[in-house]
Amino acid sequence: MPQIRTAYFGELDYTDGTVFQFPYGLPGFEREHAFVFLQQPHTQPLLFLQSLGSSHLCFILLPILVADANYRVNLDAEDLAALHLAPGRQPRIGEDILCAAIVSAGDGERGPTANLMAPVVVNLKEQIGMQVIQTDSPYSHRQPILAGEELAPCS
Amino acid sequence: MLIMKRRAGESFTIGDEIEVEVLEVAGSRVKLGIVAPESIAIVRKEARVTREENITAARPMDPEAIAALVHHLWRPAKTQP
Repeated sequence: MPQIRTAYFGELDYTDGTVFQFPYGLPGFEREHAFVFLQQPHTQPLLFLQSLGSSHLCFILLPILVADANYRVNLDAEDLAALHLAPGRQPRIGEDILCAAIVSAGDGERGPTANLMAPVVVNLKEQIGMQVIQTDSPYSHRQPILAGEELAPCS
Repeated sequence: MLIMKRRAGESFTIGDEIEVEVLEVAGSRVKLGIVAPESIAIVRKEARVTREENITAARPMDPEAIAALVHHLWRPAKTQP
């Protein structure tokens, strides 16, 4: 079984079936095309998007419905095609797609935030992913995670 | 901030080398045509912001900060008053 050196959890086994392709990489990391999702019991509900090519590169993700139970993803026709999703309807989070926000630790003044404007969206069946930059989004690219009692879209 | 009104077919310039033309106005959307030197990167602001956020987010997060985040996320929801 192939092994992967991870940024947070040392060496882990993985199978080829768990590798997700990101044909466009992620903005700022356009050459990173293969990732695995890692989950550990002690870090639930966070997901870790570990690059297969760069062991030091691992994004921490928050499932979008944990961030906002009422979150609505808005994929345009190009996004749907790029993700090999059926045209003409929005995919169902948790059934057709995995949708999660990238968490940023912030700095001294600003606590951790999640980018709800541009979530990572993965076609669970085809194992293809991309970061969808939503235009006209009601969601913030820096939604505080710790600040309020509840997370809410900023309007 | 400089504010100007332009109609479809009208344009304006930024410096000597950049020209922006309003091609079409339809509802709440404006279609722009931009002529600029190749050395000038033109990206939608959302894309730029996301790129910058990703670069910040890719920095390794302190294990204690991760633990604090997980702890916060597991905190039982407060009941509504």
